[in-house]
Amino acid sequence: MGSVFVRREVLTMRAPIVVFAVLAFSVPAYAQIELTGSYSPILYEDYIERGPGSDLGDFTGMPLTDEGRAKGLLYTSNLPSTNERQCLAQAPWVLQYRPLGMRIWSEVDKDDKVIAWKIEGDYLRDTLTIWMDGRPEPSPNALSTAAGFSTGKWEGDTLTIHTTHVKTTWIRRGNGIPASDQTTYWVHITRHDDLLTVVTIQEDPFYLSEPHVVSRVFKFDPRANQGGRSICNTANEIPRLEDSGIVPHYLPGQNPEADFMMRTYNLPKEAALGYAESLYPEFRHKLKGLYTPPAACGRYCCGWIERQGLPGAAPGLACNDGGLGDLHPVVRSKSEEGKAAPAKK
Amino acid sequence: MKSRIPNPKSQILITAAFIVALGLNVFAQGRGAAPGRAGGPPATARAAAPFDPTGYWVAIISEDWRWRMVTPAKGDVVSIPLSAEALRLAEAWDPAKDEAAGEQCKAYGAPGLMRGPTRLHITWQDDNTLKIESDYGTQTRLLRFAGAAEAGRAGARTWQGVTTAQWTMASGGGRGRGGARHGSIKSVTTQLRPGYLRKNGVPYSDRAVFTEYWDLHVETNGDQYLVDTNVVEDPVYLQTPWITSLHFKKEPDASKWDPSSCDARF
Repeated sequence: MGSVFVRREVLTMRAPIVVFAVLAFSVPAYAQIELTGSYSPILYEDYIERGPGSDLGDFTGMPLTDEGRAKGLLYTSNLPSTNERQCLAQAPWVLQYRPLGMRIWSEVDKDDKVIAWKIEGDYLRDTLTIWMDGRPEPSPNALSTAAGFSTGKWEGDTLTIHTTHVKTTWIRRGNGIPASDQTTYWVHITRHDDLLTVVTIQEDPFYLSEPHVVSRVFKFDPRANQGGRSICNTANEIPRLEDSGIVPHYLPGQNPEADFMMRTYNLPKEAALGYAESLYPEFRHKLKGLYTPPAACGRYCCGWIERQGLPGAAPGLACNDGGLGDLHPVVRSKSEEGKAAPAKK
Repeated sequence: MKSRIPNPKSQILITAAFIVALGLNVFAQGRGAAPGRAGGPPATARAAAPFDPTGYWVAIISEDWRWRMVTPAKGDVVSIPLSAEALRLAEAWDPAKDEAAGEQCKAYGAPGLMRGPTRLHITWQDDNTLKIESDYGTQTRLLRFAGAAEAGRAGARTWQGVTTAQWTMASGGGRGRGGARHGSIKSVTTQLRPGYLRKNGVPYSDRAVFTEYWDLHVETNGDQYLVDTNVVEDPVYLQTPWITSLHFKKEPDASKWDPSSCDARF
């Protein structure tokens, strides 16, 4: 009887303490915010690259090594038509350079703890899996895969990711800037309200002379239905190439577009062809006296083609859109919005 | 049988300790402006800082190079969602007129300046005011946190406008494992003097609002990047908010600081 009384007293007295203790020390295991959802890219930076595609020989903003530059200049637009090279443009984190967005979700274990974040996007060759369970990176000799191997950790509300074991690819958009299978990425994903900022810091001992840093903004868009096609299918695109053994290319020093940016935009070679010095403000000392703006904007001049035809858009733009408005006007009525993602360019 | 019920004094101490701990944790769960000490005066913005934004930072022009590093052709307004009136103004851009009017700094207002080829020198002017100086155009902007001295005369519009700021602490009160603190700055700039988003005369109006989210990323090799995710809203010249992000790399010292005056052409 006395023993029961004491036990009840203990329970009575300690219950509040236990409750306090549970509440007091229920600090989140690690800071994180919800990333799950579909995100549309905001194409207000590098629009030409992410929309119609880069010009051949446009390596502006790149810190290339001589080898990277030379390899990039071997590229012709027919090269991706060969079966073996059709997937090279679908590098991990290529979403930074493409006009479509991504879908993010998490996978949990039996205790509902997130063990991985997944990213899928139209332009990825495979779904990116970002392991959050602390597993070590594989051996340097392990297989390189289309998605690479990624681990992540939360730094405050930023998901920091390290990606290794990637395949040889092209990076950026459509003009052959190469990335080797020794490329690694540090990636920081931060969400501010509905905006998702993705910073990629890419290193490549062969083709980059310093880390290549790019930051992009995506917008949470539950109607976007982004992603869902992280795959690369190959097909013969040019019958003449089929079984011919031909690898379209320019020989070193013979690319007729190597000086396209120089002759079109009055840029010095160091700027057009991706020398690291051109990325920093002091490069303007070299530009001053050399550079004069083109007399007029020749093409792709308009503010935002996708707004054409939409309420509030500039009607009858006077600027030269380079024909893109006729070729691919992403014009959707309000009633069509949300039904389907924009067509792949 | 010996009772295991703590004596009343112990109960009080234990309960008090848990209440204090609970209070701290509830604090830690919140998001928003950095809290002050319970019952005391609010912490200063400098004391509450979850990261150190001070130092010399250089813009890495790895995006939009042709529109940021040099002045593009007149009428090249690609990637900015301009209104028809803004497009008309951009196509009528005349730098000589700006020079004659003493407005050669129009491309150096806060929304245009931040995309420019600049270095930033960030310091605490006082405990609640962050000073951002640029060598490009030799501009100065003040980020005023709560408690900072009042901004200039109401209605006065300047190239750098009036900026209010707050720390946004990461989940868990900004405390990660190991006690590291995390968060970002959200700043909002208004009272801007009409200027250019791009050097070639792409306009923003005096009704523009410039919102920025500042984050610091520290790499394993010691490199530090300050990332400025920003939104320009302008009901006069933009169809929709213009959203971009910029990244600056920390430099060890002022050796590359290179002040230049405003230039309406180059």
